[in-house]
Amino acid sequence: MFILTVGGLFALLPPVVYIFNHDTSVFGVPQIVFYLFGVWLLLIAATAGLTRLVRPEQDAKFEVDEG
Amino acid sequence: MLSADFVIATAIAYVGLLFVLAYFGDRRARANKRSWLNSSAVYTLSISVYCTSWTFYGAVGNAARSGLEFLTIYLGPTIVFVGWYFLLRRLVRISHIHRITSVADLLSSRFGKSSRLGVLVTCIAVIGIAPYIALQLKAVTSSIQAVAGSSEFGQGSLKGIDDVGLALGVAAAMALFTILFGTRHVDAKEQHHGVVAAIAFEAVVKLAALVAVGVFVVFIGGGFEGIFAQAAARGVVVDTSASFDSRWVTTMVLSIAAIVCLPRQFQVTVVENSDENHLRTAGWAFPAYMLLMSIFILPIAVYGLTVMPADANPDMFALTLPLAAGQNGLALFAFIGGFSSATSMIILESIALSIMVSNHIIMPLVLRFSPAPQYGDGQGVSRVLLVARRFSIMLILSLGFFYFFFTRDSDALAPIGLISFTAIAQFFPALLAAIFWRDASLNAVSTAIFVGFVIWAWCCFLPSFESVSPTVSLLLAEGPAGISWLRPEAMFGLDGWDPLAHAAFWSLSANIVILTLGSLITTPSVLERIQATAFVDVFRRRNVPQMSLVPGSATANDLYFVAERVLGEKRAASLFEAAARDRGVDPVLFEPTPEFVGRLERELAGSIGAASAHVMLSKVVGGGDVSLEEMMQMADETQQVIEYSQELEKTSSELRLTAQKLEDANAQLRELDSQKDEFLSQVSHEVRTPMTSIRSFSEILLDSEGLDDGQRQRFVSTIHQESLRLTKLLDEILDLSALERGERSWENRPVDADAALDRALLVCDALLRQRGMRVDHGERSGMTMVEGDADRLCQVFINLISNAVKYNDSSAPVVRITSSIRGGDFVAEVADNGPGIAKSERKLIFEKFSRGKRGSVDQAGAGLGLAISRQIVTRMSGSLELAQSALPGACFRLRLPVVRQ
Repeated sequence: MFILTVGGLFALLPPVVYIFNHDTSVFGVPQIVFYLFGVWLLLIAATAGLTRLVRPEQDAKFEVDEG
Repeated sequence: MLSADFVIATAIAYVGLLFVLAYFGDRRARANKRSWLNSSAVYTLSISVYCTSWTFYGAVGNAARSGLEFLTIYLGPTIVFVGWYFLLRRLVRISHIHRITSVADLLSSRFGKSSRLGVLVTCIAVIGIAPYIALQLKAVTSSIQAVAGSSEFGQGSLKGIDDVGLALGVAAAMALFTILFGTRHVDAKEQHHGVVAAIAFEAVVKLAALVAVGVFVVFIGGGFEGIFAQAAARGVVVDTSASFDSRWVTTMVLSIAAIVCLPRQFQVTVVENSDENHLRTAGWAFPAYMLLMSIFILPIAVYGLTVMPADANPDMFALTLPLAAGQNGLALFAFIGGFSSATSMIILESIALSIMVSNHIIMPLVLRFSPAPQYGDGQGVSRVLLVARRFSIMLILSLGFFYFFFTRDSDALAPIGLISFTAIAQFFPALLAAIFWRDASLNAVSTAIFVGFVIWAWCCFLPSFESVSPTVSLLLAEGPAGISWLRPEAMFGLDGWDPLAHAAFWSLSANIVILTLGSLITTPSVLERIQATAFVDVFRRRNVPQMSLVPGSATANDLYFVAERVLGEKRAASLFEAAARDRGVDPVLFEPTPEFVGRLERELAGSIGAASAHVMLSKVVGGGDVSLEEMMQMADETQQVIEYSQELEKTSSELRLTAQKLEDANAQLRELDSQKDEFLSQVSHEVRTPMTSIRSFSEILLDSEGLDDGQRQRFVSTIHQESLRLTKLLDEILDLSALERGERSWENRPVDADAALDRALLVCDALLRQRGMRVDHGERSGMTMVEGDADRLCQVFINLISNAVKYNDSSAPVVRITSSIRGGDFVAEVADNGPGIAKSERKLIFEKFSRGKRGSVDQAGAGLGLAISRQIVTRMSGSLELAQSALPGACFRLRLPVVRQ
């Protein structure tokens, strides 16, 4: 998960984004747009997957106090 | 046609619906603690209050003006939520343990329950958020005007009212609405289930509205591809070549700070969290929500630029595109979506800020100017709190309105929001230090935040008034009193930078440097150290010494009086009764313990903030400082004892390990010893047998004279054979001991190892035939040169092969010989289908005097063969070991490094 966080940051900041910033289109959408949304989607999917592996916290419920 | 009156009526009806939703949400949450209102879905949706009208309108405008920059506002939070395990989980845990009510409360509680820091953070937050509130007012105002302006008779009752009047009306309505919503009662833990339910509902509405507009635009624009193609044909290009400069990094960093530190985000993410596991869902679901929210923004912006007139406000594309296409229903839906996003932000932000203001500014004032323990009139503190909060909400919205009033000429939405983000980001270094760095100190943090704020006010806040004030614009151009290196947008001559990046760079750098250096040179107070340990080690130790006040002179009555004033009679009574029950005494006779005072302080902190609760109880309890030192000492002692016992545990486990090793070694020694005894008796026996026969035959030869020559000859040759056997045995023993002591040496030179193996097979041919043993020739390496002695190598192979023969009791005995080159080594294997080597013997098989116990036929060897072989192979820098083989019996593997030619 740490790798995901740092890796995500790395992939979304210059200079790495420059690599995908060319004047070409993928399916009619500029390449960079395609790349950014792709990384985004990948991060979401990987987090959802990784979270399954992390054991849920026991005893994490906090009592709801009455006002 | 939509008229302004109709649109306003719809908005009011929508607000009414929200109110009903909040009311029933509150009732439901109270009645049933496990209701769906506590689900992770509602939690995630409530976090999406992050997407305000800035997203709904501003992001489209931002995309139209500066391309992809709008994405950073959502990518930053994505990173934070992807890493929820590190930051958010910690924040939530700390806040629940310490009953934290806001960012200001978190920082003040962590840094020695300092009221001063709480006041500072609250003031900065209130001022810093003003532009953000103004943004929402501006968006709502512009959206109403966009709808009304689209038709000639649409103005309705708005005729003659300019945008300032409209904004004032919106602000007043919002203030009223928020007061009705959020300050009906003082919650025990500042959780507002009803409001959260309404916010979650609004999250769905705004997402649905934006997606509906997006789908509509993509549909009429001929798909994503079509939109971009049309735009290119009209000369509208999404220029991304200059997107990824310092501004990209800046907005990303600011949004990372904002998603944690914005008062309303802290409120929904941390304070309103009722189950830590909800973060697991939010960790991916909230980024997914933002992705859905922003996926249509670029198409809407690009299409708007393509088809709308050049002077159209790009911020309003989400509204004006459906209107232009005559889709009034969709436009109304879009308006409600934008309205949703603005109202949810204003409601939550002002609730969060009003809690900060009442807990950190008004409460300490009330405490200071009223002699303890008499607070105001009948209803006590909670009434004061509610009134304070209502006034704070009005104050906050007024500030927002005034900011709007002064900066109404600037047209874009997103830059206004970023001003707020920069102010709020000043808390981020302090927040990180608070929960990760034990040595961060109050003075350093206060100074750092203050300096950061001053730089922000100078470089970021002030320049936004440029268009209304000639003084400010002069200041921007010339600097104060003509000092050019203090120009707000070019500090220290750093000219030509983007103003936002410039302001963020200077304010955050100064902030971080002061925080770090200041913490290193100042010494934190005792209470700070206690709180630092409690915050930083929140996951390490469950029972951190919490409290610093010792009841001293305070009686249960005094404490009860305080508790009743803040928590109300019912809760106070139940708290005291529970404590008395735990101690097993009658409630009337209950004497407060330090633990109880600690618990009480946390409960109070949940309502009025840590600093105020601390001050309030100190007044009642008195003598806090002395007991503070005592408590610290106790905490230190406890920690020492814990560390000492951990060390002891470590040492004893090490001892246990050593003992185990010793035991193993001892067992091996015993085994060897018994083997040696056995061997000695074996040797004696072996020596005795030939000696006996030699003696008896020589006696016969001496005594008897009637022996013929033939008999004499036979006896003499027997004596000869027996002495040969003896010599061989003694030779072996000598050979081994000489090898071991390194006396028998030979020069290693390149020899063909495979040829030595062939030679050994030839020598053993007779033996193999005698036993009827089949030789299974496996893969062979061919000529392979290794460093060694050919005869000695051959001796090793003979030993291995003859062992395979000797110990094999199979009815169809087989020996399998293979050799190959693996990883630069010559590897030869001799395997058989005999009984194999028992597990218990594997360790000892290469020891001297050791012989396999299994095997039926002939065990006449002295048990030295393998020991000698291993010595020889080691001398050739190789190894000899047991290996797994396809055959059931033993398999010996010899490994020798191949000589590089």
